[in-house]
Amino acid sequence: MKRTLQRSWLIFFVALAFLVGLGYFTFMLLTHNTDWVDQAYNGHISGSGGLAQAGSVYDRNDNILAQTVDGQRVYNEDEGIRTALLHTVGDNSLNISTAVQSMYRSELIGYNFIWGVGLPESLKIKNDIKLTVDAETCKAAYEQLGDRSGACVIYNYKTGEIICSVSTKSYDPEAPPEITEDNADQYEGVYLDHVLSSSYIPGSIYKIITCASAIENIPDYDTRVFHCEGSKNIGGSEVTCMESHGDITLKEAMACSCNIAFAELAVELGKDKMTEMSKKMGITSTYRISGAETQIGHYDVTQANENELAWSGVGQYDDLVNPMQMAIICGSIANGGKTKTPYIMDDATSFFTKLGITLPGTEEDALVNPDTAAKLKEYMRYTISDYYGDYLFGGLTVCAKTGTGETGEGKEPNAWMVGFCIDEDCPLAFACVVEHGGIGFSNAGPVAEAAMIQAARSLGASELQ
Amino acid sequence: MTVIMDIAVVALRILLPVYAIVIVYQCYASMRRRRRPEKPLVLLHNEVTNLKIPVLFWENSLGRSKGSDIFVDDPAVSRNHCVLLRRKEGWFINDTGSKSGTFVNGEETFGRTQVYIDDKITVGYSTFTFKRGEEYTERLGPTWFFSRVSNKPAIKPFLLLFMITLFHLFMSVEACYTNDVQDYTPLTVFACLAAVEWVFFFVSTMILKRVNFELESLALFLTGIGVILLVRQELRSAYVQLIAAVLGMILFCVIIKIIENPDRLAKFRIYLMILAVGLLGISIIFGKISYGAANWITIGGISVQPSEFVKIIYIIVGASSLDVLQTKKNLIEFIVFSAICVGGLAIMGDFGTALIFFATFLLMAFMRSGDVKTVILAISAAIFGGTLALKFKPYIANRFAIWGHAMEHPQDDGFQMARVLTYIASGGLFGVGIGNGCLKYVFASESDLVFGIVAEEMGIIVAFTIAIAIAALIIYARSVTTRSRSTFYSITACCAAGLLVIQMSLNIFGATDVLPLTGVTLPFISLGGSSMISCWGLIAFIKAADERTYAVKR
Repeated sequence: MKRTLQRSWLIFFVALAFLVGLGYFTFMLLTHNTDWVDQAYNGHISGSGGLAQAGSVYDRNDNILAQTVDGQRVYNEDEGIRTALLHTVGDNSLNISTAVQSMYRSELIGYNFIWGVGLPESLKIKNDIKLTVDAETCKAAYEQLGDRSGACVIYNYKTGEIICSVSTKSYDPEAPPEITEDNADQYEGVYLDHVLSSSYIPGSIYKIITCASAIENIPDYDTRVFHCEGSKNIGGSEVTCMESHGDITLKEAMACSCNIAFAELAVELGKDKMTEMSKKMGITSTYRISGAETQIGHYDVTQANENELAWSGVGQYDDLVNPMQMAIICGSIANGGKTKTPYIMDDATSFFTKLGITLPGTEEDALVNPDTAAKLKEYMRYTISDYYGDYLFGGLTVCAKTGTGETGEGKEPNAWMVGFCIDEDCPLAFACVVEHGGIGFSNAGPVAEAAMIQAARSLGASELQ
Repeated sequence: MTVIMDIAVVALRILLPVYAIVIVYQCYASMRRRRRPEKPLVLLHNEVTNLKIPVLFWENSLGRSKGSDIFVDDPAVSRNHCVLLRRKEGWFINDTGSKSGTFVNGEETFGRTQVYIDDKITVGYSTFTFKRGEEYTERLGPTWFFSRVSNKPAIKPFLLLFMITLFHLFMSVEACYTNDVQDYTPLTVFACLAAVEWVFFFVSTMILKRVNFELESLALFLTGIGVILLVRQELRSAYVQLIAAVLGMILFCVIIKIIENPDRLAKFRIYLMILAVGLLGISIIFGKISYGAANWITIGGISVQPSEFVKIIYIIVGASSLDVLQTKKNLIEFIVFSAICVGGLAIMGDFGTALIFFATFLLMAFMRSGDVKTVILAISAAIFGGTLALKFKPYIANRFAIWGHAMEHPQDDGFQMARVLTYIASGGLFGVGIGNGCLKYVFASESDLVFGIVAEEMGIIVAFTIAIAIAALIIYARSVTTRSRSTFYSITACCAAGLLVIQMSLNIFGATDVLPLTGVTLPFISLGGSSMISCWGLIAFIKAADERTYAVKR
């Protein structure tokens, strides 16, 4: 009997295993409960019913972007602002998964783990959310984008605050369209926030990365002279340029966006160096922007031949970049190599934040070396000051690069403009893309211009004329 | 006005978890009380050395091995010499294959031989006089579970059941006022439930004259929660579940009666094994394939899951009294039977139940033999078998692939688990209120995912309290076995408790993505007639292991 009793201790292992499992589940529950609740299928919070008791959403100047009045969800009274901020604020549905009203719905309706979502309506305590965006800036960017598909993002590279985030195509959240087969073209990709969730062929803006690699790996990069005749045979096929640039330095090649110079550099640097710099500058990684993950870009030349490698250096081949990612690269260059991760609201929902514990900051690693950043800044400044002209940005000291990403299939190229302002009281980095918009400067340029000027105004920048 | 109503509703929701904790505490607190004091039953007196050995258990091994209950330091005594055991008829001694034999009053014994007070028992060179326990005057060290047994009278059984009935009443009242429907059907179900509870109580105390009712109270508490949660999901199921519970209670009483004499039962082992294999065979041949597992058979419109009843037979077949364990040491017969059971379930595709059987097998094999080698060998065999299963049943491999990532696949393979997690989190500590949940619309929520329903509608505190109440059966079973009347009861009680807790763990952790989803039921709570009946059957073993169950009636 004694022996049987001793052996029966084995069943305590069963109890122990159970307790371990229960402990693990409790830990998961405590750390993940808001993520679990914020699901599109959650019957307790879905539909406008879920927002019937939700708190308000404000922009940086306390303009109301969304609020509940008598059980109805209403948005900003200006239709332009409503539509511009659709992808940032969200609508009554949970269709736009990265929007604040989708990702933080449980916060808005006052979910907390103690009470769940089950409190009777009369006893619920709702929460308000204040965003870092400026409604007027978003509206300005939206008006320039119009009904073209595209994205425009501006953020403060010193603090990380996102001032402007607009994705088109868009619609008025107070009159959401019913998307059928007939109007599917008109609303293609409308549920995606292109700033975060899309990637595009970059074209010449990728020369920033190629240039960075050249600066760090080629000793005579600054003095070397490139020769452009409008096209050149590299690796058995032609690499073409917009025009014949003649003899130019790297700085001039950057300004006039000479394909031949950067194609030659890409081949000279080789696959490893190009891939290394793409990785270092974050093309192949993702960022968490207030809980939403950015789309990963693409740079993979492992299967590429020499000609394709050449094209990859000017942002063609199968290169892809995400607008937020490009803005972060520009912000890093402006800020001496490092930047704060952009955010649209304070991450007040994490378990640790709720307990009042601040985890060590998540500042991004340096994307470029400080010396390289300084050189890139010089080149990108030259592009605006000596090539396009400073009149563009209403007196702001802007450094930028345009891009025209050929998409083939007989469609217009993607128009890009990315850059940053180096004025002390206007530390803004931007990335604008117009999908199938045409030439970068003439199509993305006006979007960037309008948004940057409005953003600088909202910051009260003194250089603005 | 609505605010006052709302506050009342919330107050009730906060009250229930607190009340549930009190009830579970009371159930276990009462189990610890009112026991006989620790005293030797009889005494073996070696008159040559004047050594007095207290005999503490109903079954005692005697031998030269240090782990023996009665340790005899005599080179002529075998390591496991004989077993001294108590039965209704008196005390017996049974030689378990010793080299030198066992003698009573000078005569060699064969098989069980009755011994009387003042008989002389001779083993090897030692002779003991068989004396009454009262002659032992030294104090014995208490066992830990009873170390601080309170002399306070336990809560009266009827008071405990009254508390439980009141808890069910509160639940029903809450279920009357859901967000969508307001009517009084839950009260009708409650009336039936209360009638069942109290009839069972009176049968147990008045007719069967049992002194304690705590284990039954705990089971009634859990059963009632399951029944009332069903009211707002599918009313008919609530009644079916209640009827199954009544059948379960009958089985509970029948099993206690059947196993009253484990020696007689031993003769029927072979028939029980045939019955078990037959039941599994019927399911394999006539089983209806439902969602991957062919473990249901339908007789006259009633679906039965025979594997649930095989669990009970399996527990009976695996256990024996001590003298049988010592004579028949090899496990081969039991291993073969276990392999047939596990294999049969695997063929049906019911891998969850197969896993439960296997884990129970490990417990049982180890408790019988203490043989670590057998356990390791069995685990290796199981890993091999499991790998094969993964190869031939791709849907199982899918469940492993999704394991731990359910939230990333909420629309395909992780559908059920993702909803369980979402709705558990939505429920918070106190739940959204009975009948207000959304999980009930998900497929199989009333059985496989029922933990999620409890947590969503009643809050995570109640859900955890229920889980811990079931898990604590292990501690209870282990503690009552120290006083069991036979190793048969010790083994059956521990293994039945182990089985229930393993099954509960697979259910809870499967639904919450801590383990792959296996589709087994949560004991007493999940909808399922066969499961409910077998759970009641299984706790009968724990009840029987309690020395007081077969005690002289008051």
